[in-house]
Amino acid sequence: MRLATSTAFLLLLATTALAHGPTPQKIDQSITIAAKPDAVWAVLGTFAKIDAWHPQVAKSEGTGGNGADARRKVTLKNGGTLDEGLDELNATTHSYSYRLSDPDLKALPVSSYTATITVSPDGAGSKVEWLGRFYRGDTGNEPPEELSDEAGKVAMNRYFADGLKGLKAKVEGAGQAAP
Amino acid sequence: MIAPCGLALVVLLAGSGIAPASPIYVASQGAGTMVALDSGSAPPGAPLPVARTPAQIAAGPEGRLYLTHPDTRQITVVDGRAGSVLRTLSVPGQPFGLAVSRDGSSLFVGDWSGNRVIRVSAETGTVAGEVAVGKDPAALVLDRSGRLYVADRESRQVSVIDTTRMARIATVPVGEAPFALALDPAEERLYVANVRDGTVSVVATADTRTIATLKVGGMPYGVAVSEDGGRLLVSNQQGGTLVVLDARAGTVQAVVPVGRYPEGVATAGKRAYVANWFSDSVSVIDLDTLRETARITVPEGPRSLVIPQEGAR
Repeated sequence: MRLATSTAFLLLLATTALAHGPTPQKIDQSITIAAKPDAVWAVLGTFAKIDAWHPQVAKSEGTGGNGADARRKVTLKNGGTLDEGLDELNATTHSYSYRLSDPDLKALPVSSYTATITVSPDGAGSKVEWLGRFYRGDTGNEPPEELSDEAGKVAMNRYFADGLKGLKAKVEGAGQAAP
Repeated sequence: MIAPCGLALVVLLAGSGIAPASPIYVASQGAGTMVALDSGSAPPGAPLPVARTPAQIAAGPEGRLYLTHPDTRQITVVDGRAGSVLRTLSVPGQPFGLAVSRDGSSLFVGDWSGNRVIRVSAETGTVAGEVAVGKDPAALVLDRSGRLYVADRESRQVSVIDTTRMARIATVPVGEAPFALALDPAEERLYVANVRDGTVSVVATADTRTIATLKVGGMPYGVAVSEDGGRLLVSNQQGGTLVVLDARAGTVQAVVPVGRYPEGVATAGKRAYVANWFSDSVSVIDLDTLRETARITVPEGPRSLVIPQEGAR
């Protein structure tokens, strides 16, 4: 029984690893921070250093700095890993765009995503917007509930919201990021 | 005699700034609707509800439009002139890309997870043939001779199908994750937008061979060729831009900011239109000034748009 279950899971991984389904979903989250964009960017603006501010991240290792071919390997506290590549980073406009390379359904139940995070002035402080596009974990027509569009939305929205709260806490000097 | 007159009229209209009556049809995946835009900057008319999550739209003769619904295994047939749904066909698999035969009787439909192209009746949806292609077929383009090109997204190739026999006659290696296709007006070159490596492959159709790879950057998700064949219009989804290239030299002429997550591109006359999936809008680009001249709000999640060919509408 145990063998059958793990085999089924492996098969699932095999079929979803390359798949990129036909129905993308949006994520759009933002937060205001009581600090100038430069101060926010000082925390946010190094691609590999997501572990400095994201409370779901256990550790992050990067190569290539903030260059065109930069990569980061993000290990989450749930044990999953996100292998991400940087597309573009603009330190002047305080924005970077990146994408998932290979899915890890244990990390996030999605098969692929791209995202952009941007800091802009907002009154005396800043607004940080994190938006993205993702595909559900199983892009076939009958996804199991845990790999559905809804499951992907819940997990991605939580990941983005927790990250923004953590960034705000870090920048505003509240010490440890909110749990 | 009729054809030259028609041509002269079009030139005259374009020259005088009056837009010819060529609607742009936009499929909104999130909203489950289709809208028609005029060629200017006016807001669309009332959205036409279709089946859930339409992904791609293609035009056939006599004003017909066809939309694929991968999640519901359906194709909606629309009468574009009347602005009404004629029928909804049930088809097997996960229909995504599609092309319409010249006479309008057959549809060629890519089955995304089935790794095949099926030929179905445009009247009934009855399957009349199928051919295996590579993994995750995305865009389909049919040339005037009945040859079909299929972007096999996860096989890094384009499959070439002889539709009279429904047989694959060639596979052409291209870049990483080919998604969108466009033929030049002479049908001598096929342009392939490769999502994952940020390039456009140029395929010579005569010998089905990649002859050049153009660097665009980001994630090219849509491609169109200007009516004179001189320019390539490529949406860079990650950059939120439309990249304009010299089709012959392969050089970038302009990078035009558009909405967020642009995808489908279409062009007619001196204008290009870009579906901004995230922003729920269509950008209108003036090809003389290479600037965005309007951004038209459309229903949620526009991914694909089409401008019917002259004579078909």
